Amino acid sequence: MIPLEWELLLSALLFVIGLYGVLVRTNAIVVLMSVEIMFNAPILNLVAFSAYFGNPAGQVFALVAIALAAGEAAVGLAIFLVLYESHGTVDLSKARLLRW
Amino acid sequence: MFEYAWYIILLPLAGFLISGLAGRSLGRHVGWVAVGTIGGAFVVALYLLIQVLQGGAIGGGLAAATVAGFEWVPGVRMDLLVDNLSALMLALVSLLSTLIALYSIGYMAEEDGKPRYFAEICLFVAGMLGTVSADNFLQLLIFWEIMGLCSYLLIGFWYQKPEAASAAKKAFLVTRIGDVLFLFGVIAIFVVFGSLKFEDIQAGIAAKFGTPALDLRMMTLIPLLLFGGAVGKSAQFPLHVWLPDAMEGPTPVSALIHAATMVKAGVYLVARSFIFLVPVNPANGQVISAAVPWDAILVIGIIGGFTAFFAATMALANYDIKRVLAFSTISQLAYMFLGLAAGAWLLASSGIEETGGYSAALFHLTNHAFFKALLFLAAGSVIHAVHTNDMREMGGLRKHMPITSMTMLLGCLALAGIPPFSGFWSKDEILGVTFQVGASQSLFYILYLLGILTAFMTAFYTFRLWFMTFAGKFRGHHEDHVHESPGVMTGPLAVLSVFTIASGLFTFLLPGSWTNLIFYHEPLGESPLSPFLRMPDAALAGLSVAVAVAGLGLAYLVYSRQSIPASRFTRSRAGAGIHRLLLNRYGMDSAYNKLAAYGVAGVAAGADWFDRHIIDGAVNGVGRATLALGGLSDRFDRTVIDGAVNAFSLSTVRSSLTLRQRQTGRVQSYAGVVVLGLSLLIFLVFVWRFLLPALGVK
Repeated sequence: MIPLEWELLLSALLFVIGLYGVLVRTNAIVVLMSVEIMFNAPILNLVAFSAYFGNPAGQVFALVAIALAAGEAAVGLAIFLVLYESHGTVDLSKARLLRW
Repeated sequence: MFEYAWYIILLPLAGFLISGLAGRSLGRHVGWVAVGTIGGAFVVALYLLIQVLQGGAIGGGLAAATVAGFEWVPGVRMDLLVDNLSALMLALVSLLSTLIALYSIGYMAEEDGKPRYFAEICLFVAGMLGTVSADNFLQLLIFWEIMGLCSYLLIGFWYQKPEAASAAKKAFLVTRIGDVLFLFGVIAIFVVFGSLKFEDIQAGIAAKFGTPALDLRMMTLIPLLLFGGAVGKSAQFPLHVWLPDAMEGPTPVSALIHAATMVKAGVYLVARSFIFLVPVNPANGQVISAAVPWDAILVIGIIGGFTAFFAATMALANYDIKRVLAFSTISQLAYMFLGLAAGAWLLASSGIEETGGYSAALFHLTNHAFFKALLFLAAGSVIHAVHTNDMREMGGLRKHMPITSMTMLLGCLALAGIPPFSGFWSKDEILGVTFQVGASQSLFYILYLLGILTAFMTAFYTFRLWFMTFAGKFRGHHEDHVHESPGVMTGPLAVLSVFTIASGLFTFLLPGSWTNLIFYHEPLGESPLSPFLRMPDAALAGLSVAVAVAGLGLAYLVYSRQSIPASRFTRSRAGAGIHRLLLNRYGMDSAYNKLAAYGVAGVAAGADWFDRHIIDGAVNGVGRATLALGGLSDRFDRTVIDGAVNAFSLSTVRSSLTLRQRQTGRVQSYAGVVVLGLSLLIFLVFVWRFLLPALGVK
């Protein structure tokens, strides 16, 4: 059995990698992918604690969260599609609408 | 005790209110309201007089009673004083006013403004009644001023006429000079005695004389100030100028002013100021001889004697029937003042034994009231018939106006001092007392001489008036229009002529001493005729009669028989000059006018200069100062206030310019901030929840 610490460490690693991608990469598609990676970090936590405590409720929540992540990805892609239509690009450094 | 005495004043006041407020709706009958109310006052006053005489002089009890009134303002009461003097004056004034109001109904029948006329008459009478019944000097002064106001209103009744308007102004202003002196006198009395009640003053003199508050100088000054008021009101020299001009008013008003009210108030005031002239200690009834102001008495006597002569000379040459009577009023009033002065001297030097002069003056006041009212109303009847005042346009009216001419003849005989008509008794007694006082102060001999000369002139000008008016041929224009006056006018004339004959004699009918019977508090045991028997020599009485007859005779020769032409007096240069001088009334009126014109113009020029330079300068200065202050305030506003506001806004703009640089619009920088903030929050929670407890910090 893999110790809980390793699993949590992996989860944190995933989160930080995703965060790095969100903050640094300018391509909207890559940012969306990074968000998905970040999303997986808490799901991994849910599963790890579920195994640790022997409570299956965590696994149920993990499944629900995966379903939600799929929805989130669909909405994000739709927004980027509109962004592309209006700006002709998905480069986030070019789409500076929230500005003074 | 005599509470009903208030009705004597309140009735005419009610008449004033009724005819003043509801007069228009009463129409032609408004005069009857005045007659009714004043007549009612007379009935009450007559009852009061009888009561006072029965309780007082005849019964020997009452000297004076105070009728409680009301407290006007705290410390100032309005009470009535009822004694012989005030009861007599109340009855006399109300009787004459009733007759004059009745006469006015006929005289004013054709006039507009009857409600105003009768309302003012009522108020005038109420003022006079209040004056003579006041029990303190303040109340007296208030009613005195009401009379002054009414005289102004009534003399200026025909205010459309410029002469009437200016005569009213003149009367008001000239009497005002006297009133101011009177006011000063009242203030002086209050300062010295702390009270204005006659009773308190009499006691105060006895208590305070000799202390620093009251010396002989003060005792002389106060009655002279009061006499100043009397000089104005009674038109004595040098304030006599208003009375002849007051003839511009309606004739019944002249009668009212001359006979019943107004000018008699001055005599009354001097009679009241006997508490100063003859100070009596109420405790023992003795005269305080050190406190007698002999100089003040002498001044009153000299003014009286001189005015009597002075006014009579002016009457000699005048052609206006009413002005001749006006001058005779001044002259006769002066007799009363002379009588009062001689009476005061006599009373003070004899220790309240000889009351002759005082009684004679008031007796003359009574008689004069009757015959002067008669003369004025008769003159009014004549004027009503011929529509002119000028005697040169009259003449021969005897056959057209038999009643008027006969009644006026009676009045003239009384005024001229022909026995047994009323004027003789009192005038002769005044002259007799003056002569008697001459023994102790020889100046009174000169005054007696002036009095005798005045008696001669009085007889002359009185009958000059009568002969010019009623004898000879008519010199006017429309003889066929001349007619006798209606009964409402001749009725009062008839009543007055009865009094003119009787008022001199009727005192003989009463028991006791006539001198004190009515006019002085205490009865004396004298026979009715003793004043005449006591006269130093009967020759004095004979002399009076002789000069009166001589004057009458001269007037007859000049103006009726015309055996001595009137032009003989004015033919010589000196005669013509004197005639002109008398017609111009010694130039005093024009001198006063000039004095007023230059004096007032000078004051006005001074006021103008003051206005232009001081007041305007101050106003402009204030303006300039305000302007300078405004500039300063403007600069402060612009620099300090605006500067602070601008600096605040500018710094806000600058800081916003710096701050907006942080809003880049780059989603990832916002996300970075979110992460940073979240990390900080987690770090703080970690420190707070775990690190600090682990280190043992609470």
